[in-house]
Amino acid sequence: MAPPTPLLAATSVTKAYAGVPALSGVNLVVAPGEIHALMGENGAGKSTLIKILAGVVAPDTADIAIDGVPVKIDSTKAAYRLGLRFIHQEFNVVPTLSVAENIFMGRRYPRRAGFFVDWAALNREAQRALDRLGIDHIDPRQNLGMLGLGDQMLVRISAALLDDAKLYVMDEPTAALSADESQRLFRVLREIRASGSSVLYVSHRLDEVMALCDKATVLRDGRSIDSGVLSTITHDDLVALMIGRKVEEAYPKAAAAPRDTTVFSANGLVTPGIKPISFSLREGEVLGVAGLSGSGQGELIRAIFGDAKLTGGSMRLGTAPYAPSSPAAAWQSGVAYVPRERRAQGLVMRRPIYENITLAHLRRQSRAGTWLTPAREKRFAADLGATVRLKAVGPAQDVIELSGGNQQKIVFAKAVAGNPRLLLLEEPTRGVDVGAKFDIYSIIRERTAKGAAVILVSSDLPELIGISDRIAVMRGGEITTIVEAAGLREDDLVNLCYGRPTGMVA
Amino acid sequence: MQHFIRRYGTLIGFVAILVFFSVMLPGTFPTARNWLNITQQTSMLMVVAAGMTVVMVMGDFDLSVGSAASLAGIVAAMMMSAGQPVWAAVSVALIAGLLGGAFNGAMVSLVGILPFIATLATMTMFSGLAFVVSGGKTISGRAIPEEFGNFARSGIPLGEWGGVAVSLPNLSIIAIAVIVAVWVLLEQTTFGRRLYAIGGNMEAAHLSGIAVKRLRLIAFSLTGLAAAGAGLMYASRVASANPVQGSGLMLNAIAAVFLGTTMSRHGEPRILATVVGVIVLGVLDNGLTQMSVDSYIRQVLVGALILIAVGAGSIGQKRP
Repeated sequence: MAPPTPLLAATSVTKAYAGVPALSGVNLVVAPGEIHALMGENGAGKSTLIKILAGVVAPDTADIAIDGVPVKIDSTKAAYRLGLRFIHQEFNVVPTLSVAENIFMGRRYPRRAGFFVDWAALNREAQRALDRLGIDHIDPRQNLGMLGLGDQMLVRISAALLDDAKLYVMDEPTAALSADESQRLFRVLREIRASGSSVLYVSHRLDEVMALCDKATVLRDGRSIDSGVLSTITHDDLVALMIGRKVEEAYPKAAAAPRDTTVFSANGLVTPGIKPISFSLREGEVLGVAGLSGSGQGELIRAIFGDAKLTGGSMRLGTAPYAPSSPAAAWQSGVAYVPRERRAQGLVMRRPIYENITLAHLRRQSRAGTWLTPAREKRFAADLGATVRLKAVGPAQDVIELSGGNQQKIVFAKAVAGNPRLLLLEEPTRGVDVGAKFDIYSIIRERTAKGAAVILVSSDLPELIGISDRIAVMRGGEITTIVEAAGLREDDLVNLCYGRPTGMVA
Repeated sequence: MQHFIRRYGTLIGFVAILVFFSVMLPGTFPTARNWLNITQQTSMLMVVAAGMTVVMVMGDFDLSVGSAASLAGIVAAMMMSAGQPVWAAVSVALIAGLLGGAFNGAMVSLVGILPFIATLATMTMFSGLAFVVSGGKTISGRAIPEEFGNFARSGIPLGEWGGVAVSLPNLSIIAIAVIVAVWVLLEQTTFGRRLYAIGGNMEAAHLSGIAVKRLRLIAFSLTGLAAAGAGLMYASRVASANPVQGSGLMLNAIAAVFLGTTMSRHGEPRILATVVGVIVLGVLDNGLTQMSVDSYIRQVLVGALILIAVGAGSIGQKRP
């Protein structure tokens, strides 16, 4: 029997930017009723390929057929007409408009008498779109900007699902979602597959891809490799396809167990977002923090980093009391921070690498705290860049020119530049490719080997289990339990996050 | 090619303007005397624009500089006409500018009002204050000590040029000193580095331990100080003070900084680029006046030039 006509067949796609090839003869074939993963390290060409399909970037050459009919996608309108829908992080949303208005953006609002917007109908329709994802906690009349990142993503996904399309292209849709929200999304994606439409799914989270997708196309250095049916290959095979070599371990092992000296302790911390929280950290220890999104993880980190006013409790760093009044005071005390959103919070994108690295350490990286010493700064940044395995032209290169993984390494270089005693990490590997992830885990290990303690907030459960010594589970602004990470199963951790009983022996 | 136009378009345009005026006005335009004259004519704008650059580096701006300049001139003139010594009058006027700027800074950084709104409000406040203090009158004549007016008229003799004695005007010297000070501050100190970081990403700067509020307050204070300095220079030059004499400075200063941003790598303000921006505006004014172009036509031309320069700078830049 002949194979069915592919829903999407893009063959011999090439694209070069200023003579540098981004895609050189890539093939992508998606069958109807298939969830197809598009994988590859940052810079492998995934986003270029997606932009070509979306009609944002014109390819140098490409043969694209939909349902066997050759088509030309020369504008975003054309892509829309052909039944392609795109959901990505930088999706246009207007935070000051309501959820319903955002869902219907670019579509005709329901009207009354052919002129007046029928708000009741608009909100009703929006609620239906949300219902499809099983979302009952978002009011369509609410301003989108009031929602958390995860909820905003859910709204975007609902909007894309509003009318039936042939192919949904999703770029890292779960990056901002909690485990439970991701599960709901996967359920909907499987419904889409059952209805005969297809999904092109881009994610760095291999476990997700392995569980959800039928096939994968792996991009490496601008070329494509067809994975074949995913159920027949292993996780490690897929990683090897992506990076072109075998990896031994996803998570580097710690050189030694945590030592018995306490580095940091919190005693009954209270801020507007968190209830009394107490815990302590030993030298070389990584404390993971798990929980549904918005359970107080961010508030806890901000409290420790001096960016939130404590209404109660106290902290100690080393042997001394620690009460930072600002992030500046926290850096001074040897507490460093890798924030959640590297572009929005971590980096000054249009400044050179070295300026970004020394930004938090200018007092020491200058003469008398006042006079800039760029040559010295550049040497300092180049040395640090080497220790974090940064791939860049040189320390004077602008951050904006680097890939996501390398940008994140700069955030890390800034954080470790002062030899911190306590390292606060939020989603340190979000949107970072496999190779850079391993490098980042290695940086964490190097720090703990030097005696630093680490607090790791992450929604990537395998990462939490793989890197942490212990994991604190947060719910409703407090730590409900702290468990040993070794031997912990993912579903047990999910259950702990929901406050459900687990199968494990306490 | 696009990149080249974006980065160097303004400079090329500047050179074209110079060539044009040199051809049209061969006897009077390309002379040392005229150029020294231009440096004096633009010295007030230079000082205000240098101060404006400091806040614009952070992505803020200050609409109140013109009113602050007028107010400073009035304050000094009132004190001098009341018999106070020149040094005291000048000091109080400068301090008034500094405090006015600090007030702007407090509104913007501590209260959190957008710079556009905050400085629009203080622009009318300072202007109103200047009227109240002066009673709406121009203070001139015998009320102004001769030494104050003479300062702007004198300079350092540079010798003879084609049989005519030329000198570097005192006002130009002040402008150069201010440019050097702002250059050192923005390009050579951690203060400047931090301001650029705030302008690039305020949240990242804050989380990197930069005292964003305090730095914004200081930056606005410096802008106010520069505005007051320019107001004093103006008062000295015309040996009088009236409550509206600084009003033309604000738009020109912002225009000069914007012209400058078309020359920097990522469109960020740079002090030396601002200097070029001021000189472009000054040369246009000087040349067109010499060609007897009507002053309203001049306004149209200068406005068009700014649109062309900034528009050319946007070529090839993707929309966000």
